[in-house]
Amino acid sequence: MSKGMSFFSRDRAALLLPIILVLCLTSRSNILPVADAIWLTIPSSGTKCVSEEIQNNVVVLAEYYVIDENNPDHIPTISARVTSPFGNNLHHNENATNGQFAFTTGESGNYLACFWKDGSHQQEAELTLGLDWKIGIAAKDWESVAKKEKIEGVELVLRRLQGTVEAIHGNLNYLKDREAEMREVSERTNARVAWFSIMSLGVCITVSVVQLWYLKRYFLKKKLI
Amino acid sequence: MENRWGKMRALMGLLLLNWLINVSSLSVTVNDVECVYEYVLYEGDSVSGNFVVVDHDIFWGSDHPGIDFTVTSPGGNTVHNLKGTSGDKFEFKAPRSGMYKFCFQNPYSTPETVSFYIHVGHIPTEHDLAKDEHLDPINVKIAELREALESVTAEQKYLKARDARHRHTNESTRKRVIGYTVGEYILLALVSALQVIYIRRLFSKSVAYNRV
Repeated sequence: MSKGMSFFSRDRAALLLPIILVLCLTSRSNILPVADAIWLTIPSSGTKCVSEEIQNNVVVLAEYYVIDENNPDHIPTISARVTSPFGNNLHHNENATNGQFAFTTGESGNYLACFWKDGSHQQEAELTLGLDWKIGIAAKDWESVAKKEKIEGVELVLRRLQGTVEAIHGNLNYLKDREAEMREVSERTNARVAWFSIMSLGVCITVSVVQLWYLKRYFLKKKLI
Repeated sequence: MENRWGKMRALMGLLLLNWLINVSSLSVTVNDVECVYEYVLYEGDSVSGNFVVVDHDIFWGSDHPGIDFTVTSPGGNTVHNLKGTSGDKFEFKAPRSGMYKFCFQNPYSTPETVSFYIHVGHIPTEHDLAKDEHLDPINVKIAELREALESVTAEQKYLKARDARHRHTNESTRKRVIGYTVGEYILLALVSALQVIYIRRLFSKSVAYNRV
């Protein structure tokens, strides 16, 4: 029988795991600080927005919950809205202490998630919001993959690593394409700078020639020269 | 069979903790001070990440004046501090477990958008191996491999954020080139027309042209 602190010794795990699971699933907000999320503070007035630039056809999975250790029986509520880069409303929730949303991106651009306090709680201090935002490979459901391919243990771990490597490869290709686009814009700007500067010299000469010709004609007409 | 079950439990436990300590690269708008909190489960975990200031619109001046970045440990000490930078990577070993505070401070009045990525990685040490029989050296190697892949992913996110900023600068340059040169031509034509009109007025009959 193993001794020591580890969470993973048989008897302790058997006792702790269901408790932790129950705590995780029922009341996430107050009791267990979940390790897989960042916490943000929402100001008393105004909204707090987070955004991310996401490519097309990427799975986004997010969950948010209010954290308030001061008064666990009267948790402040917030409202949330998620908008796509074209302005479509992907998720809207009012007067909630927690919520989640999942979608697959239809266009590439800046996706914005905004949170604000509800009207009834405007006067209180700023509250803390936990946000768990996962996109792409991090949002993949590995349990279903394990069931489907019937792998477990070290195989599953290595399968996840393979997924990560494939995601890295995909990201690298994406960065390469973006860099190619940007290089094209840069080169076009470079060519334009050269052309426009020469043209500006040409415009200058043309304008001064027109000036001189006009003034000469004017003075000849007025019989001054 | 029992040994295998125990190992699987250990692996699942490691999975639960390791793979969840991750955050996507989010962007937040910094008006004055913006703080993000992240929980570190074990003492000695390596916390790494990066941040880039995107979407700034500096009129002239070659570089962004920068924002300040501070990491505060749960005990209140400043663990990491960067001043006046427009984007950087950071890495440190967490001195204790708890809730860490990552703050961006914008000393100027214009709001800036910061894109950041924070990752907390845990590799089981020999101490953990000694304490728990179900942990294999292979778990350590797998954790190291995972951390290496995470560092590649983090670098990619940093490159992506920097690329976004470069793209803003490029677009701004393109717009400026077109806008300012067309404006320059129009201004040139206008100025020379004004010159001609002025010279004409100098020679007009209403003013004695002996003055000229």
